[in-house]
Amino acid sequence: MSKRVKIGTGSCGLAAGAGDVLKVLRDEFPDVTVEEVGCLGHCYAEPLIEVETEDGSFYFGEVKANKDYLQKVINIDRSICTDFSESRVDLECLKVTALVGKIPPTDIDRYIENDGYSALKKALSMTPEEVVNEVKEAGLRGRGGGGFPTGLKWSFLAAKDAERKIVVCNADEGDPGAFMDRSLMESVPHQVLEGMLICAYATGATELIIYCRAEYPMAIEHLDIAIKSIEAHGLNKFSDRTVSIRIKEGAGAFVCGEETALIHSLEGKRGMPRFRPPFPTDSGYLGFPTMINNVETFGNIPVLVREGSEAFASVGTEKSKGTKIFALAGDVKYPGLVEVPMGITLKEIVYDIGGVDPNQVKAVQTGGPSGGCIPAELFDTPVDYDSLNSLGAIMGSGGLIVIGKNRCMVETSRYFLDFTHRESCGKCTFCRVGTKRMFETLERITAGEGVTEDIDFLEDIGPKIKAGSLCGLGQTAPNPVLATLRYFRDEFEAHVIDKNCPALECNALVNVNIDLKNCIKCRLCIKNCAVNAIDDNFVVDNEVCTRCNSCIEVCPRSCIARVEGK
Amino acid sequence: MNKVEFFIDGKPMVAENGQTILEVAKQAGISIPTLCHNEKVSKTTSCFVCVVKDAKTGRFVPSCSFKPNPGQEILSDAAEVYDMRKSALDLLLSEHTGDCEAPCTVSCPAHAKVEEYVREGKNGNFLESLEIIKKRIPLPMSIGRVCPRFCEQDCRRNVKDLPVAINEFKRLAADLYYETYLEERPELSGKKVAIIGAGPAGLSAAYYLRLEGVASDIYEMMPKAGGMLRYGIPEYRLPKAILDKEIAHWQKLGDIEIFCNEKVSDKKMAELEEKYDAVIVTIGCWKASSMRCEGEELADNGIDWLGALAQNEWKGKNPGKTLVIGGGNTAMDCVRTSVRLGSDDVTCLYRRTEKEMPAEDIEIHEAKEEGVNFEFLVAPTKLRKESDKLVLTCQRMELGEPDASGRRRPVAIESSEFDIEADTVIAAIGQKTDATAGMKTNRWGDLDADEKSLNVSKTIFAAGDCVTGAATVVEAVAGGRTAGLSALAMMNGKDCEEPEIINVSRGHWRSLSSDKLVLIGEPSESEREQLTFIDLDKRCNSMQEVTETMTAEQIAEEGKRCFECSCTAKGDCKLKEHSETYGAKPDAIKGEKLLKGYDNRHPSIIHDRMKCIKCGICIKVCSEVVNENLLGLKDRGYFTSVGTAFNKGLPDSCTNCGACVEECPVGALDWKQK
Repeated sequence: MSKRVKIGTGSCGLAAGAGDVLKVLRDEFPDVTVEEVGCLGHCYAEPLIEVETEDGSFYFGEVKANKDYLQKVINIDRSICTDFSESRVDLECLKVTALVGKIPPTDIDRYIENDGYSALKKALSMTPEEVVNEVKEAGLRGRGGGGFPTGLKWSFLAAKDAERKIVVCNADEGDPGAFMDRSLMESVPHQVLEGMLICAYATGATELIIYCRAEYPMAIEHLDIAIKSIEAHGLNKFSDRTVSIRIKEGAGAFVCGEETALIHSLEGKRGMPRFRPPFPTDSGYLGFPTMINNVETFGNIPVLVREGSEAFASVGTEKSKGTKIFALAGDVKYPGLVEVPMGITLKEIVYDIGGVDPNQVKAVQTGGPSGGCIPAELFDTPVDYDSLNSLGAIMGSGGLIVIGKNRCMVETSRYFLDFTHRESCGKCTFCRVGTKRMFETLERITAGEGVTEDIDFLEDIGPKIKAGSLCGLGQTAPNPVLATLRYFRDEFEAHVIDKNCPALECNALVNVNIDLKNCIKCRLCIKNCAVNAIDDNFVVDNEVCTRCNSCIEVCPRSCIARVEGK
Repeated sequence: MNKVEFFIDGKPMVAENGQTILEVAKQAGISIPTLCHNEKVSKTTSCFVCVVKDAKTGRFVPSCSFKPNPGQEILSDAAEVYDMRKSALDLLLSEHTGDCEAPCTVSCPAHAKVEEYVREGKNGNFLESLEIIKKRIPLPMSIGRVCPRFCEQDCRRNVKDLPVAINEFKRLAADLYYETYLEERPELSGKKVAIIGAGPAGLSAAYYLRLEGVASDIYEMMPKAGGMLRYGIPEYRLPKAILDKEIAHWQKLGDIEIFCNEKVSDKKMAELEEKYDAVIVTIGCWKASSMRCEGEELADNGIDWLGALAQNEWKGKNPGKTLVIGGGNTAMDCVRTSVRLGSDDVTCLYRRTEKEMPAEDIEIHEAKEEGVNFEFLVAPTKLRKESDKLVLTCQRMELGEPDASGRRRPVAIESSEFDIEADTVIAAIGQKTDATAGMKTNRWGDLDADEKSLNVSKTIFAAGDCVTGAATVVEAVAGGRTAGLSALAMMNGKDCEEPEIINVSRGHWRSLSSDKLVLIGEPSESEREQLTFIDLDKRCNSMQEVTETMTAEQIAEEGKRCFECSCTAKGDCKLKEHSETYGAKPDAIKGEKLLKGYDNRHPSIIHDRMKCIKCGICIKVCSEVVNENLLGLKDRGYFTSVGTAFNKGLPDSCTNCGACVEECPVGALDWKQK
């Protein structure tokens, strides 16, 4: 095998400048084999190049769009090589993402070369019932966040006798900071589609629809090309039927990730959930039996079928089988996508993979805006559906946001509520008005205008919103606040009673102070203050100061700090 | 047939053919509130007011959509179910903006349906107008003349210019029909009540008791009935001939006897308690407050001075140079009466400034017109007699910190004393209750009655000035009615308490700008109609009534100025009904309200988005029943609203349908016609 230069040109890579690098590679090194691949998950290192040789792969992170630099990369100059941390390599378990960032996404031949569509072939050699049973026995649970047993869901649809049966891939990934599904669709669209085709075979579905958010143009483009290849190869033709495959672009509503809202959206209606039952497998899209799985769930299927249920179930915990992909973000050294076995501890993910200093972390938020925070003291918790639930957090779709020591937990929960209350579809009273009122309460508290009754109100209304909402959005929206109240009540009380933000983050409760002891009177702070809040004696007028931090950042002697206000 | 056996609140139930819990409960006579549920359209399941609880799982489920499972135990009247329903209603109320009642009606102490009687008056239906007035105000001829007009103070029209001249509607309707209108009176129940005092409160209690079939005997210490209306309010404000006509109505009602010149002694009180099913004490506030200055016995006190004139047909000698001390309405009555008795030098002395005067502005204004002088920031310290003149020593004051009443406290300026000579000095600085011995009094010396029921003890109730301290006629009649109805409830062995009533309000006019007003029609732009005053000469030289009753034409014009603030769905709002049942309150949960405007473009339908509870029934009725698709939801989250495509508004043809209007559970979509 000759040398192959692979560059990650997923959305994330392009955003980091991979396009410019690619142009230089193509223009200046026409003889080198350059392949565009998806994202390896090491977001912190983008743009990232892998040089594949007979002696193995060499990685170059944060590469520059510069001929001389890239020459060194092609020559495999070890001095600029990026070594991924060993702890990460040890802890990761790349099964679903094994081909992510390794092959050109839309090239069906390269996918087939790498065992692609072998699982479909194997499934087609089995009876549909056998395939459903295989999925059941593997213990795969929905990766979208709900954790419903996938095989069981398949069996519901399989049991239906209808003229049209629809399988929908939920690709409306909307949690802020989560991009597992996008990466899979951009990097291995064929793997997701293979999972869907196996599902269609096993459940007797006649149609496959991918409901993908329109904000993922590359995912849609890659899926579209992949669908055409599938049709050209006849992979969607079973002995008794041809399965249609199409993409439906979502219009950008977070709530459309909820299955009944998603179906409404597919039907051309406003995306709003409805009461269940009837469940979609009884009456879904246009009234036909419909089953919805998440992108990552489908991504698991080819792996599961290829290696068999036993091998699949050998990874993970008793009730949570296989691996999970997480999008690691927040106050973390190595943000990116990681695939880890279920049951790994939060400690391992945050400290060993994320490279976070244990002294600098306060908590981690799982499940995005629908989840809850878990304090650092509980980082020994294994990551599985049930353990996270018991802590008031959720597995969710895989967002994992690390919250550093200097973050205010009240502000953090306000931030998440800001997102969910806007995204409520406006249907259920508790969700529409309740989340708004919770958000307003949190705004008051972070602005230093809170009263103790506000905390009582949050604790009273939160569980009611969860109990009085039709869909997952409302049922989980109060979680970030309730979990924060559970573990960081003292921070709420400090804001409300002492009018103090312990993390010194909430501007309304913080003053800026210059300590003259080390001050060298360089006047940089005065020059940089946009509102002239610092006088010639280096005293900050906190009535004028906007807490923009400019002075703190420019002070060469670190004399300026945020301090407790009032 | 498919049958599911389950339980609601422990009672066995059967759901047939996929019935929901709500359907089964309805059949079984179990009441579950609903808002978004409407049998004419498909289920929405959004309001969560109909929640019930699954006892086993602890889950709350919407009963309108949930089909029970075999053996399931459903809780519908558990405390936590009520709490969930209350919270859902609290949340809905927190985003619901409108006026259940018009501000005028809310601020009327008697809660007379102001907007309604004004509308009838505007349309020339004065008998109907009077009928509405008398539901709450049994003395409209008198109150139509002397009311301080709480309603007008809060009238929304103030945002634009001057309030609607509401009181004039009462005055004209009563003047026109006081004789014609006679209430329907139920047969007597056999119960009988004794009322002590035939003032406004006592008359009111007797009136409303009679309308409930209860006879009463009123014991009045003075020679004639009327109380403060007769012996406190001067002739020029309320001619006694008019008062006589009004009180004659009690005779007409029948089964109310007024015994005059009967002062009820403590002994008599005990007898009354024994003899009657209930006793209502409405003895007023007749004891003048002391000036607390040396020689005060040389002064007349206002209330007695006016009382003596009243007993002498408002004839009396010229008081000469007169000083009246005090800043309330009684002081105004004294100065203005002094002018009418011939004095050409009348001065009102008040220890604060005009701004703090408790008297009505119009009284002060008219007194000034009539030539009364005012000396502010002056307090008496000593009164003495020198030859045939009185000499009042006064002290100058300045305003200090606000006191408990919120008014700035007058503080004496040292060595600022000065003397004024006068022929007559009248102290009109307040009145107190002369409580019957043995009756509980509060710290102000007034009778200590329960705030809601006005019950004093066992079968004794009290109302009027003797409970509130010197107040207004309209407050007295409101109290009289309450005491009467509480006594009735007590006699019938029922709870005295009135049902909880909530009122959502868009806010006081002071906090509103004209672009925040919601107008169902197009109120007239004209200025407030003015009362016709008699000549100033006549005012100063006779006791003739100062103003004339407005004409029907004036009232018709004035009525067009009314904004008609109250909700079009008044009396037909499910949100209000359920909120009152579950104790939900408009201010229980506070937060931003949408003041996004309303759509008044349609000729006959008003779409007030601020009232909308987003139940979506209108949308579904239009699409599923009418087969049109004129309405849909817009925006997201809290800002979700019902609207028309491209905000084009409803077509005129909707006038012929109105299906959405008929099904709207609140007043968000409604006919403009009230």
